[in-house]
Amino acid sequence: METSRPLQILRDVAAVTVVGIFMFPIFWWALTSIKPISAVFDKDRVNFFDFVPTFINYGVTLFGQSRSQLAIDQGIGMGVGGAEAYDSRQSIMESIIISLGTTVITMTIAVFAAYAISRMMFRGRNSYLNWVLGQRFMPPIAILVPLVTIYKTAGLRDTDNLYMGYFGLMMIYALMNLPIAVLLMKSFLDDVPKDVDEAAMIDGATRFQTFRKIVLPMVKGGIAASAVLVFIFSWTEFLLSLFLTTEIRTVPVKIQTFVTSTGNEWGFIAALGTAAIILSFIFILLVQKNLVRGLTLGSLKE
Amino acid sequence: MPADSASLSPVEARATERRPWLPRWLSSEHPFPWLFPAAALMVVFGIYPLVYAITLSLYKRNAATRKMIFDPTHNWTKILADERVWNAIYNTFLYTGVALFFQLTLGMLIALLLDSDRKGYGVLRAMMTLPLVIPPAVTGMMFLLMLNGSFGVLSRGLIALGIFPTGFSILGTANTAMAGVLTAEIWQWTPFMVLIMLAGLRSLPKEPFEAAAIDGATATQAFFKLTLPMMSKVIAIAVLIRGIDLFRAFDYVKVMTDSGPGTATETLTSYAGRIYFGSADFPYASTIALLTLIIVILASTTFMKIFKVKL
Repeated sequence: METSRPLQILRDVAAVTVVGIFMFPIFWWALTSIKPISAVFDKDRVNFFDFVPTFINYGVTLFGQSRSQLAIDQGIGMGVGGAEAYDSRQSIMESIIISLGTTVITMTIAVFAAYAISRMMFRGRNSYLNWVLGQRFMPPIAILVPLVTIYKTAGLRDTDNLYMGYFGLMMIYALMNLPIAVLLMKSFLDDVPKDVDEAAMIDGATRFQTFRKIVLPMVKGGIAASAVLVFIFSWTEFLLSLFLTTEIRTVPVKIQTFVTSTGNEWGFIAALGTAAIILSFIFILLVQKNLVRGLTLGSLKE
Repeated sequence: MPADSASLSPVEARATERRPWLPRWLSSEHPFPWLFPAAALMVVFGIYPLVYAITLSLYKRNAATRKMIFDPTHNWTKILADERVWNAIYNTFLYTGVALFFQLTLGMLIALLLDSDRKGYGVLRAMMTLPLVIPPAVTGMMFLLMLNGSFGVLSRGLIALGIFPTGFSILGTANTAMAGVLTAEIWQWTPFMVLIMLAGLRSLPKEPFEAAAIDGATATQAFFKLTLPMMSKVIAIAVLIRGIDLFRAFDYVKVMTDSGPGTATETLTSYAGRIYFGSADFPYASTIALLTLIIVILASTTFMKIFKVKL
């Protein structure tokens, strides 16, 4: 449809404004992370740019600098002590291990199941599919309370054995991500014509060879997109990690510990938060093309 | 091909030829090995805890002796009499309903606004997806900072506009706390709707709109008579997926208000969590968690029946 020029300009302005409003919290967050404490807690006015930028917050949370030492060196008057509590390098490593491990486990399991659902005719195929989908409908809290007891009995708590703790958390994350991974992979596999498989099998390849050598390379892009989404969902998960682990603190849980009874350490919270966001942003830009398909479990395509 | 295997299909023949010692259901021609790992994961970490939860809900925990006594009706009758459960149910529905309404309307409007092939709109659309991947706990923190009564930028703005008195704490007041939490929820997930609506808008056929334009239909008429009906399936899927996630509302509530002040923002999940961490009454916490599951199942199956959607 033809639109007149003034109307078009009006639309451009509106679009930029709306997106700008949605970007503002991210901008404010990043800005807070480089503010000195006095600018964060400015009670007289909203302080936009009237401050000397500092990277002290990043130094403490991401590089393990001692807060009290920094305070003395730079003569910044702020509370001393609790230096270790804000060093988040350990948490970031734990989050990365958990997210990567979850992605590998989920994708391996899901690709196999998706291949069978997409390619084979068997009794109970629909029931199986619904069972997988059903996991998506289940609120995590429904299994969380007994899960803590089960983990205690089975020795999957991180307080008993750190490695088992990692394993336990990865498995429950894998379960939560299974529906999206299976259904998304099924939708990508459905895009590959079945003739491809049949041709390979007539030539004498087994199912597994067909799968590994012919079909898998054809859905590489789909696997990458699904893996990225699973990674993001594991990276941002909060409830399960909060309930199930005490030694292992993923970033979303760690950040919450900066809220203290004596006051919130906004500078540190914002610095760690910004770091966590940046990783997500890089990943989301990689999967733009498949985002809609991923978020709707493969039922809508762009 | 050997004559004796002629009665078998070529696929089956090969499977038996290759590894005769392997049972057929363990070969890659059979779906079992493909489906087993996912099924095992779902049984061990999904079904088993669920059965455990149901069993737990049939027991009564004696707070003093910490003994479990079999009493199948205890927790379920306790729920009926527990005002906090009803409050949590009300809050959860309120949260889901209000968030869905805003996310859907805003999502549709913004999608219509951004659905253009002009230069620069692609960048705007990509920027709109950014909030989606922020950890909700971090989003909660962002809005906690911005809604702080004395130095939060949003609070200060609203106070400057004269909507709230000076020093008013949005999250610290029972009447407005839910609105504060919802702001974070709506900000983070409106982009989800925008994205799906955009995909829907882009997949619409062009011809009906051209025909309507020739017949002199206005843009508003075209939207209500053509766009909306043709998008109904997309909208239904978006509402279903978002609704399921909204009903488990926890992250923002936990981070921003910790269900407070009092029980003003307590949802079903956060109430179950509070019982779990607070009084350690696992059976009762399990019962409330199961109640959440039952409501989700009932609501989503009804929705899928009425709107004839399938994921």
